[in-house]
Amino acid sequence: MDHVSKAIHPLTRRTFLGASGLGAAALAGLEAQASASQREPETTHLSHFAPKAKRAICLFQLGGPSQLEMWDHKPRLEEFAGTDLPDSVRGDQRLTRMTADQKRLSVAPSIFKFAQAGKSGTWISSLLPNTAQVVDELCVIQSMHTEAINHDPGTTLVQTGSQQPGLPSMGSWLSYGLGCESQVLPAFVVLISNGSSHRKDVLPLTHRLWGNGFLEPRFQGVKFRSSSDPVLYLNDPANLNDAARRGLTDRIAQLNRLQYAQTGDPETLARIAQYELAFRMQSSVPELASMHDETEATFTLYGDKSRKRGTYASNCLMARRMLERGVRFVQLYHRGWDQHDVLPADLARQCGDIDQADAALIGDLKQRGMLEDTLVIWVTEFGRTVYGQGKLKKDDYGRDHHPRCFCVWMAGGGIRGGMTYGKTDDYGYNIVENPVHIRDLHATILHCLGMDHRRLTFPFQGLEQRLTGVEAEARVLHDILA
Amino acid sequence: MNQEQRTDEQKQKLRDHFLSQDKTYQELKAAAKQAERDRDNFENSIPSTMVMRDSATMRNTYLLKRGLFDQPAEQVTAGIPAAFPPLPADAPGNRLSLARWLVAGNHPLTARVTVNRFWQAVFGTGIVKTAENFGSQGDLPSHGALLDWLADRFVRSGWNVKDLMRLLVTSATYRQSSYLTDDIFQRDPENRLLARGPRFRLQAEMIRDASLSAGGLLVRSIGGASVRPYQPDGLWEEVAFGIKTYGAQEYKQDHGDALYRRSMYTFWKRSCPPPSLVTFDAPDRETCTVRRERTNTPLQALVLLNDPIYVEAARGLAQRTIQEGGQSDRDRMHFAFRIVTGRRPTVAESAVLLDELQEQIKAFASDPQTAQRLLAVGDSITDDKLKTEELAAWTMVARLLLNLDESITKS
Repeated sequence: MDHVSKAIHPLTRRTFLGASGLGAAALAGLEAQASASQREPETTHLSHFAPKAKRAICLFQLGGPSQLEMWDHKPRLEEFAGTDLPDSVRGDQRLTRMTADQKRLSVAPSIFKFAQAGKSGTWISSLLPNTAQVVDELCVIQSMHTEAINHDPGTTLVQTGSQQPGLPSMGSWLSYGLGCESQVLPAFVVLISNGSSHRKDVLPLTHRLWGNGFLEPRFQGVKFRSSSDPVLYLNDPANLNDAARRGLTDRIAQLNRLQYAQTGDPETLARIAQYELAFRMQSSVPELASMHDETEATFTLYGDKSRKRGTYASNCLMARRMLERGVRFVQLYHRGWDQHDVLPADLARQCGDIDQADAALIGDLKQRGMLEDTLVIWVTEFGRTVYGQGKLKKDDYGRDHHPRCFCVWMAGGGIRGGMTYGKTDDYGYNIVENPVHIRDLHATILHCLGMDHRRLTFPFQGLEQRLTGVEAEARVLHDILA
Repeated sequence: MNQEQRTDEQKQKLRDHFLSQDKTYQELKAAAKQAERDRDNFENSIPSTMVMRDSATMRNTYLLKRGLFDQPAEQVTAGIPAAFPPLPADAPGNRLSLARWLVAGNHPLTARVTVNRFWQAVFGTGIVKTAENFGSQGDLPSHGALLDWLADRFVRSGWNVKDLMRLLVTSATYRQSSYLTDDIFQRDPENRLLARGPRFRLQAEMIRDASLSAGGLLVRSIGGASVRPYQPDGLWEEVAFGIKTYGAQEYKQDHGDALYRRSMYTFWKRSCPPPSLVTFDAPDRETCTVRRERTNTPLQALVLLNDPIYVEAARGLAQRTIQEGGQSDRDRMHFAFRIVTGRRPTVAESAVLLDELQEQIKAFASDPQTAQRLLAVGDSITDDKLKTEELAAWTMVARLLLNLDESITKS
């Protein structure tokens, strides 16, 4: 097994310089000043075969957007409208407390129409007119399934490979496996946006979703914010000018070098490098965050919402800027899904947040020649029930959580665009073709990034742990690979 | 209406009306209410504590397949793993029996694990490196006989922690220099063989506490409710559940002493832990952690440079230095340096720091606005008798000191 480093301390000069993460990169940079030939490469550590994608972005729609209104076209639901979901279809599926006591489980067809789009003729909802324009780039998986029926375990499963909290997040695994490409930005960044739905209770997010679990803390996600401090504590609270900050950094380095002469501890050298890197981040991060160099055409492409910091559209654009600058993995969360009621109105608002931005991101990456080696993953924790929750009206209804089938899509590096994978029954309740578990999705993501999910491991509690877990074998979805 | 014809409801209505008009009744009712309030207030003023007790009938417990609550497998009972001495024959299989067994002293397990953790705290790495795991998947001890000797001595001393700590920190091994030659580093990079003294970065909470202490700000009171010190705006809100009546959804920063208490009193919201502590590898507390990682990242540099508490601590140290450090710049600089590092500066170090001081005094004299902005960071009040540019210049020197590798490293 090829683990990056089990040690708390950098063990040897080689792992010290070669280890992924900001620190090592900076030190390598420092060393380069002395001797360019000695500089260690900062490329992938655990690559098992040639990757199709060098970087990835995950668009996590938090709350479970309804596949029946967006991606899974079920024309026969019109016939079944208002009738009870047959027991033969439901089988032994458990229900949440929210509908377990409901007397009837009446089928609710989508209020939104579907049409075929693109050369591929992929069925897509009228809620997603812009995404329809780029649908030939997407592989829509209609047969995702999960064991989780509530948000927190569901989200934790998608993000860590287990419903039980505490394991490393997908982004941590990726930065563990891929290392850090940028000298001045972290390998794994998190961006959060709020949705436009009118729900009062918005699902909470938690730090552990981008946590490092049993991997080293340097692999945890760094949250970028839409405030004046995009990275926490980036700015000097007294607003010292560049020269003063430069002077402070130089003096710290000067004294630390004297300290190194007294101790011989390489940790002290690493500390010098970290302060240098922090200084550089103080200019590189604002430059990244300012977006002043984006053209009017770009903002038009991503839509008016992209002009406002912290929106989903703005985060998509920010993510592209990060990917351009060497960030390996950007994790977006968009909140406000979970339409238990008022679904038609709120789902339309939520789709309004993401539709143009998703399409723009695909188009933008493509026109920059980045789509071919950037993996785009649009994902959520579960789907929604075909039966309505609460009182069913013609123009207003809600849907409960549904783990048995839901839709995600992928695009870009290594993925075959313009296809639909897997199939559900006429009720959109059960999978009838090519079921895809979360672990299969993880295995496929790792594969596109050049890693074998069985070999990306870390020893913990007596097991060679992996993102795809050790309980059941995950399978790479070769059918959807380009 | 005839009295007999009244319904129960009407009778009740009449009665309520009568009582509402009756002065004596109203006075008694008010007095009773007040007495209840007094009783509640009194009871609430008594600290309560959780007490555990076994239920009268033991519940059946099962092995859960893959930990799933609805997948019970074989039934299990409480007991001690067969490799260890058993519980006394007459002891019930409950927590009290386990607690007594743990400290019975007839097996080395508890004492070994305990002394190993204290060893880890003092030397940076345990004799058994996997302090959380002494099982078959854990590491073997680097010095097995030493571990057993310490464990045995610890039990014989009556589990005396103070005695153990004194033994460790006064040992010749601990008092060695931590100086690292290339040769020693090559042969034992992790210092498992202890050919040199320990040198490692302080833990998150200690770094903050040490800076507060250097700045004369640390509040040492013991116990009490958790506190909410400075934190960047909006962190809780951006991950919050929308409904405000749920706890800990909006961060309301405290003021006064609460800002300067030891970091162990900082309020911990697990879904959004205090960022400046987490940056220094404080675990997020989702799971129990007995051994922390020690990373070295640029985000740590940003915290020490820019978290307001460290700038405020630097200002506190600057003020102390001017007030208590003597008259000459040199004396003052030695005073500040010693507070932070516990030693006197070398000639070369003195030169750098005195240069810095002169440069900053000049800079702030020509830019008083920046000096004022710097001194305005943090809630604590500065002594207004001190000259602005002088205090600001010393604050920059103090920031420099608090950011040194040596200041956050135990060596």
